[in-house]
Amino acid sequence: MSDTAVKAPPAAPPTPPAKRDRRRLVKALAWIALLVVLLAIPLYLDAAWLKAGQYMMIGGVGAIGLTMLVGQAGQLSLAHAFFLLAGATGYTVLSGPVDDERVFGLGLDPGLSLVGAVVIAALLGLAFAPVSGRLRGIYLGVASLSLVFLGLYFGQSAETLTGGTSTGRSPEPFSLFGFPFTNGGPEIELMGVPIRQAERLWYLFLLLTVLAFVVAKAAVRSRVGRSWRAVRDNEAAASVMGVSVTRAKAGAFAVSSAYAGLAGAMTVLWFDILKPDESEFGTYGINISIAFLAMVIIGGLGSVPGALVGALIVNGLPQVLSLYSADLGWFSGTGDGALTPILVSSFVYGAAIILVVLFEPGGLAAIGRRITSARKPHLPEEQDK
Amino acid sequence: MKRTYPAVALAAVLALSACSTKAGDSGSSGADGSGVKTDKGVTASEITLGVMTDKTGVFKNLGLGITQGNELWAKDFNAAGGACGRQVELETVDHGYKADTAKTLYPQIEPKVLGFVQLLGSPVVAALKQNIASDKTVAAPASWSSELLDNQYVMIVGTTYDLEIIDGLSYFQEQGLVKDGDTIGHVYIDGEYGKNGLRGSQFYAKKHNLTVKEVKVTSTDNDLTNIVTGLKGDGVKAIVLTTTPAQTGSALAANKALGLNVPVLGNNPVFDPVLLKSPAANALDKLTIVASSVPFSADLPKAKDVATKYKATYKETPNGGIPYGYAVGEVWGTVLKKACENKDLTRDGIAAALKQTTSASTGDLVAALDFSKAGTPATRQVYAATPDASAEGGVRYVKPLFEAPEAKEYVAPHQK
Repeated sequence: MSDTAVKAPPAAPPTPPAKRDRRRLVKALAWIALLVVLLAIPLYLDAAWLKAGQYMMIGGVGAIGLTMLVGQAGQLSLAHAFFLLAGATGYTVLSGPVDDERVFGLGLDPGLSLVGAVVIAALLGLAFAPVSGRLRGIYLGVASLSLVFLGLYFGQSAETLTGGTSTGRSPEPFSLFGFPFTNGGPEIELMGVPIRQAERLWYLFLLLTVLAFVVAKAAVRSRVGRSWRAVRDNEAAASVMGVSVTRAKAGAFAVSSAYAGLAGAMTVLWFDILKPDESEFGTYGINISIAFLAMVIIGGLGSVPGALVGALIVNGLPQVLSLYSADLGWFSGTGDGALTPILVSSFVYGAAIILVVLFEPGGLAAIGRRITSARKPHLPEEQDK
Repeated sequence: MKRTYPAVALAAVLALSACSTKAGDSGSSGADGSGVKTDKGVTASEITLGVMTDKTGVFKNLGLGITQGNELWAKDFNAAGGACGRQVELETVDHGYKADTAKTLYPQIEPKVLGFVQLLGSPVVAALKQNIASDKTVAAPASWSSELLDNQYVMIVGTTYDLEIIDGLSYFQEQGLVKDGDTIGHVYIDGEYGKNGLRGSQFYAKKHNLTVKEVKVTSTDNDLTNIVTGLKGDGVKAIVLTTTPAQTGSALAANKALGLNVPVLGNNPVFDPVLLKSPAANALDKLTIVASSVPFSADLPKAKDVATKYKATYKETPNGGIPYGYAVGEVWGTVLKKACENKDLTRDGIAAALKQTTSASTGDLVAALDFSKAGTPATRQVYAATPDASAEGGVRYVKPLFEAPEAKEYVAPHQK
């Protein structure tokens, strides 16, 4: 979280450059080590765990987009699930076969379609700018919620695009420059482990997540991020400083929608099917919008790494607990009042939200910052992460 | 503090590289001493079948019932000697009716099983469709949409939703409740289940010159009073439902309260015995349920046998899932024995044996099933039943197995 008006950072004496360089090096090493671990995971974990990990990455990409919008630009949005559906439909239609009589497709290259899906979602986010520019706070939240219902009707009625609610449609499997991310194509082995669909998708998702993360960090640190924060903290003051408020707001909405669009395209690749919901709860429903909001609140509003940790908790817990309960027979109760993995994880993340709101409005990011900076003075440029 | 992170991470990397990767744990395959070929999910003494059910979500009552039916069958089947000298084991997981959880649990259970004796829930079946095809796991979905039949590994035990409605409307006409040229209402959930049922009433309406007033609802709309009011204005002579049990209760209560009192037709998923204790209890007499698996209380030797065994083993309130779960097991048993004759217990062998199964008998728990024609429902027969609080399982049946002439002519979406 950035330096809010409430908690101004203590003025710190400038750190000597040598010390600062060493800290940077340590930080870089830590990130590299984490990346190495993530790259090695498919060699050790089974497909089910990779599937769960991929689901967390989908959450991570979407949550990064939302944390920039809500945390950095101060615009509450409940429309995230709608942009997920837009991206999902965008990818499926752009890459879909041309000659299917039931559904419409453009037969583009999957890689191009993925980019196209992100662009479509971003444009839809821009189209919402006239509304998002005029409203604030909870009013914007409610207005954006209407998009989820729009998405529900679109999914049901635009059957030639979405495949309809009863059967849906299969997305074109992803391939990049002719290399398929399925069980087909060339047989690859790494350290004796066959690299098949689950492993290939893991690497693809990891690449997309890293890209999303790096771009978001850069945006937050740059002029763009500063203009967002200025608009969030005080629109009048931002105008005086020469920030175009409407542009900053529209930009934030478009960027966040683009992220959601990417998460949506990842969702169809993960499910192997595009199937719009028949009610307002489902893969692209209100529950998903709320889950994303939970991720960014738990992670700490405005913190990019925090959003990833939030996704790990909200999207990961139900999956991981289900896998464990199948293995170890935890929470295997049945019927009413049984503690189940899904129920337990709902409790955990509900409790996490309450605890965050009550005791640490900065979320996990603030706690993390407090731990890492326990023995060093605050640096001004480290405030906005 | 600041130095610990890279150190921990490096240690983790080193630890990871030190232990072995997941390489080289592929299942054994080949033939055993008696020349029976096997691959996944079959050992020298056991055949493992998968159950992906909902024990905790919206369909937990049905899911639990079907699972208990599966378990009762496995016990009987093993007592009778199993197949190929092997005992059947069930591997059960609970997905809570969430497609994302199911998608993650599937790769965990898939290598351990030969096929699935139960896959519950349309969203789950839709999400796993591709996996079933690429892994060649024959699966019996607890979802009866004829749209699923474009997948040769899907084994639907019973009649599909569209045919249930065709048979049901024909029964109404036979009873004189509906005449050619009448107007009927159809309230459906806009999903796999409701849409497929709607296909049935549209087909029947074309044959008999009926006007169908279609009303789309979402599964979360729990008050159908307005909709029934609208149908009353349209002058409907009967209402067809493909809805959730809660919606069924609401529609029936409105049907009585508004003085419309027309007969109501629904298929298996519209009714839950819980409705008999709901405020709608005294309005249920107008409901007729058509289904391809018998009610728990059915007066048939096999159904009675299953009911007796159930009461000896479990304590929950029984529902229609139990005989159905048992029946699916019986069909699996037939297929396993067939595969055994062919000396091929591989997944391919099971798929081939399924194709050769032309008359799987379940002691009339479900009509005789013919799986030999791709894309075609295995049976077109249904029972008609009505809610009855005095019967165990909450329904008693009013007409035994029958097949309407219109159902014979109907062409399912993937029928060749």
